[in-house]
Amino acid sequence: MDLALHTEQLTKTYRRRVSKPGLWGSIAGLFANQVKEVPAVKRLDLSVRLGERVGLIGENGAGKSTTLKMLTGILVPSAGSLRVLGKEPWRERRSLAREIGVVFGQRPQLLWDIPVRETFRLLKTMYDVPAAIYDVTYTEAVRRLELSPLLGVPVRQLSLGQRMRCDLAASLLHAPKIAFLDEPTIGLDVSVKEQVREFIRDMQQRFGITLLITTHDLKDITETCDRLLLLDRGELLFDGSMPEFERRFGSGRRIRFELEKAVPAQALPELSAALAALGGKLGESGPHQLKVEYEREGAAPQLIQLVMARLSVVDIALEKADIEGVVARIYRRQAAANASE
Amino acid sequence: MHAYFLLFLQSARASFAYRQSVWGSLFSAGISYAVPVLVWRAVYAANPATPVLSAQVLFPYLLLAGCLNYAIAMNVEHRVGQRIRSGLIATDLLKPVDFQLAQLSQALSDGLFNVTLCLPILAVTYLALGSAALPADAVAFLSFLPSLVLAFAIMFSISFIFVQAAFFTYSGYGIFAARTAMQQTFSGVSAPLSLFPLWLQHTSEWLPFRHTVHTPLAIYLGWVQGSELWSALAAQLGWAVLLFLAGRAILAFSLRRLEIQGG
Repeated sequence: MDLALHTEQLTKTYRRRVSKPGLWGSIAGLFANQVKEVPAVKRLDLSVRLGERVGLIGENGAGKSTTLKMLTGILVPSAGSLRVLGKEPWRERRSLAREIGVVFGQRPQLLWDIPVRETFRLLKTMYDVPAAIYDVTYTEAVRRLELSPLLGVPVRQLSLGQRMRCDLAASLLHAPKIAFLDEPTIGLDVSVKEQVREFIRDMQQRFGITLLITTHDLKDITETCDRLLLLDRGELLFDGSMPEFERRFGSGRRIRFELEKAVPAQALPELSAALAALGGKLGESGPHQLKVEYEREGAAPQLIQLVMARLSVVDIALEKADIEGVVARIYRRQAAANASE
Repeated sequence: MHAYFLLFLQSARASFAYRQSVWGSLFSAGISYAVPVLVWRAVYAANPATPVLSAQVLFPYLLLAGCLNYAIAMNVEHRVGQRIRSGLIATDLLKPVDFQLAQLSQALSDGLFNVTLCLPILAVTYLALGSAALPADAVAFLSFLPSLVLAFAIMFSISFIFVQAAFFTYSGYGIFAARTAMQQTFSGVSAPLSLFPLWLQHTSEWLPFRHTVHTPLAIYLGWVQGSELWSALAAQLGWAVLLFLAGRAILAFSLRRLEIQGG
């Protein structure tokens, strides 16, 4: 069996209590509840092979965390089937727990009151980690994530960045077959993010760990994953490689010009045609601002030259869309497609 | 097994790590334990004519009941309730250990902490009351030990069941208050159950709470002996097993409906 996980028509619908507004609403709510069904994941079909490195992106509320919770066994699906390492996660949660590692970026798994080192020792015992494995995972984690100064510190005294590093180390100490990392770089500064990605990459290669990472930072995906899933309102909108993704939805590269004077309306058609000849496209622009979108890497210098030759430019910024930006573009594209039908 | 023992040890370390809370706990234990005695003393002084229970019986009972109640006090509602409400329970459930046993291991460390704090209070009690506060005889003392362990197990299992309301209400204070009120009333900590109105006495016989304080103390003070002693222990064991298994069953049900809070 080389499948790490497999889902068919996986569905989760939350039931939310709806309370009427105001005090009377709250009082009425004590006796009778109206329940509203909120779909979080809809008929998800997904297969991941062992050793694959998969990034899961989507806006807030797209169903990423719900999917991860079902895959790890702490949430029971409403419908559909799923298998993780051949097990049905919520029925076999404890035995599955032994083979997976999980980071919930917003929920530390370290014990609050005791030093980091003690938590690691406890996990080693809990997971029955063989000494040969532990020697490698522990040493690597301490070295790559620079944990030595933190080992004796009680967890409650760690900063967010320090705690995240320790948490990530903790989740990989037993060299799990699959690592589910829910926003492993949330709230970290750039240099620490880099450290974390390197560690993940390294451990993945060493132990052939199957990775499933959710993130808001596209760089997490480009640097640690080779397959990208885009989840939107509970449905899979894209499943493929990063280059495929960019081919299909655009790379989101953009140049922003701040202008001294507003562009005269009659100059726009000519400018737009000239940009198009170089692979650029006018984006939303304000009176003193011009945005040029483009796809081809390396097109920026020519586009900049072209604009500077025609307009008086005060400032230039190169931008690359984040996940929200990319997803927003996809929405706009879909809306436009629907409108033209 | 080793993992549960480590959990116990580290939880105990954490309990003792907050030195301020050690002194705070000792202080509050002393108060909660002295107040009923002072009240009863005043009542007895005001009505010297033929009390239902002699002062020689009542005061050792009250002082020991206070200690015992404190020794089996549970942090389970607080610990688990807070983890349920914050969603941190997700990380507990993702560990390859049994959730209930892991909680029991940590609760045992509460017990160790509490018993340690009880020792100075007990010492004062013995100095004040002398032999009246000692176990009735060797049999009473030896039977008291398993009875104490069972009282602890019952208390844990009750708390474990009550705290699971937090899965559904997402705020556990009312539940905690309800459990505490029932414990205070029916365990016999505020007064020996024999002083209760009959209907309350009868009610208490159908509830597990009496076995957390009243039963172990009755054994310790030699109020029950012979076959009564055995049936008291058997009742405790029955409740402990029943409640522990009920807690497991309710957990399995809760987890099926669980929605971990937060993204």
